[in-house]
Amino acid sequence: MIHSTFYLRRLHSLVGLVVLGGVIFEHVFTNSMALGGPEALNGALAMMELIPHPIFLAIEVCCIAVPLLFHAIYGIYIALQANNNPGRLGYIRNWQFALQRWTAWFLVVFLIWHIFYLRIFTKGIMGTPISYELLQSYFTGSPLVAAIYVLGMFAAIFHFCNGITTFCMTWGIAKGPRVQNVVSVLSMCLCAALCLVTLTFMGSYFVM
Amino acid sequence: MAEQKKVRLVIERQDGPEAQPYTQEFDVDYRPGLNIVAALMEIQKNPVTVDGKRVPPVVWECNCLEKVCGACMMVINGKPRQACCSLVDNLTQPIRIAPARTFPVIRDLLIDRSVMFESLKKIQGWVNVDGSWESTDAPRQNPYTAATAYEISHCMTCGCCLEACPNVGPQSDFIGPAPTVQAYLFNLHPLGAYDAPKRLNALMEKGGITSCGNSQNCVEVCPKNIKLTTYLAQLNRDVNKQALRNIFNE
Repeated sequence: MIHSTFYLRRLHSLVGLVVLGGVIFEHVFTNSMALGGPEALNGALAMMELIPHPIFLAIEVCCIAVPLLFHAIYGIYIALQANNNPGRLGYIRNWQFALQRWTAWFLVVFLIWHIFYLRIFTKGIMGTPISYELLQSYFTGSPLVAAIYVLGMFAAIFHFCNGITTFCMTWGIAKGPRVQNVVSVLSMCLCAALCLVTLTFMGSYFVM
Repeated sequence: MAEQKKVRLVIERQDGPEAQPYTQEFDVDYRPGLNIVAALMEIQKNPVTVDGKRVPPVVWECNCLEKVCGACMMVINGKPRQACCSLVDNLTQPIRIAPARTFPVIRDLLIDRSVMFESLKKIQGWVNVDGSWESTDAPRQNPYTAATAYEISHCMTCGCCLEACPNVGPQSDFIGPAPTVQAYLFNLHPLGAYDAPKRLNALMEKGGITSCGNSQNCVEVCPKNIKLTTYLAQLNRDVNKQALRNIFNE
C-alpha cells in the first residue's frame, strides 16, 4: 500500500499553508512599503535585488513556481470533486467551503495573468524592473486593473486564511467544535486585517 | 363545521432509475402531529394530485417510524432528514420532497443506499471475534470512551450526512462521513482495536478520509447528533500517526 492519495493531499495542505502562505505574507509585506512612498517600496525592491540573480531565480522556481503549480493543478482536481451546495445548506462552514473553491478558480485565472504580465513579460522579457512608478502608472492608469488586483489579493488572502482553519482540522490539530470555532474566528480576523492592509496600500497609489 | 385544513406536498417523482424526474402536487388533510410518512401514507390511500388526476402512488421506504432504522431518509424542504420524525407543524408549506440524489434513485423517493454497506466493508466495520466469554471474563470497554462509542453506535446509515456532503456524489469517490466515522467506533472497541492499523490504512486509500473537505454539513444534518466532525478530526490525527508508523517502522 503506497497511499499516494493520502500523501498528495497532505502535501497539498502543507504546501498551501507554509510555502504559499509565506508567498502571500511576503507580497503583503513588500507591497505595503508603498505606504511609505516611492523610496520605501523601491528600497525594499532593491534589497531583494541584492540576492545574486541565479539564487533569486532558484528561490522563485523552488519556493513559488513549483509549489504553486502543484497546489493549483492538484487543487483543480480536488475542486472538481465538490458539488457546492451552500444555497441549499447555508451553514457558515459550508459557505466557506464553497468560497474556498470559488476563490481558487478565480485565482487560477488571476495568477496566470498576474505572473505572465508582470513577472514573465514586463520583468523577464522587456527587462523593465518593477518599481513604485511602474505599479502606480499600471494601477492608476486603469482602475479596472487595480480593482481586479484588489479582488485577486482578497481571494488569495481568504483562501489562505480559511486554509489555516481547514489545515487545523485536516491535521487533527483542532478536534472539537469549540477549538475549531476559535481557530476559524482567529483566521477570519487575520483575513480581515490582511485585506485592510491590502486595500490601504492599493489606495495609497491613488492619493499619493 | 370548520373547513378541513390541507397540507400541500410538492413531490419530485421519477418512474425508474433512468427516467426523467418530474414534480406532482398533492393535498393531504391536516391533523395535529402529522408527519411526512403519515402524509405519504394518505397519498398512498388516495393518489390524486391537486389537479384531480389519479396517478400511481408515490413510492418510498420506511420501517421503524421512530428515527432508529434510517430507511425513510429523503430531502424535505432542501434538507436531508428522516420523514418519520419530520412534523408538518415544523415545516414551511408547501412542503417540497425529493429523493436523496447522492444515491441512485430506484423510483420516486426510493433510493439504493447499498454503497454505504460496501464502504463499511472497506473500512472493516466489524470486530473480529474468535470465541465467546463468560460475561465476567470478557475484555472490558474503556469507561472513558464508552459514551463516545455509544454515541457513534447510534449511526443508522440513513445517509443524511452523505446527501449533505458536497464531496460525496457521482463526481467523487469519497465514502462519506458515516462509514468513515464507524472506523473510529471499532477502533475504540477493546478487541476491535487490534485491527485499528488496518482500518486507518483503509482510510488512507483513495476515497477515504482525505476526501473530506471540512464543509461540516454532516454534523449539521445528522439526525442522531453524532459529533461527526470531532471524530473525523480524531481520525485525521490517528491516520497521520499511522502514516508515520508506516514510514518509520519499516
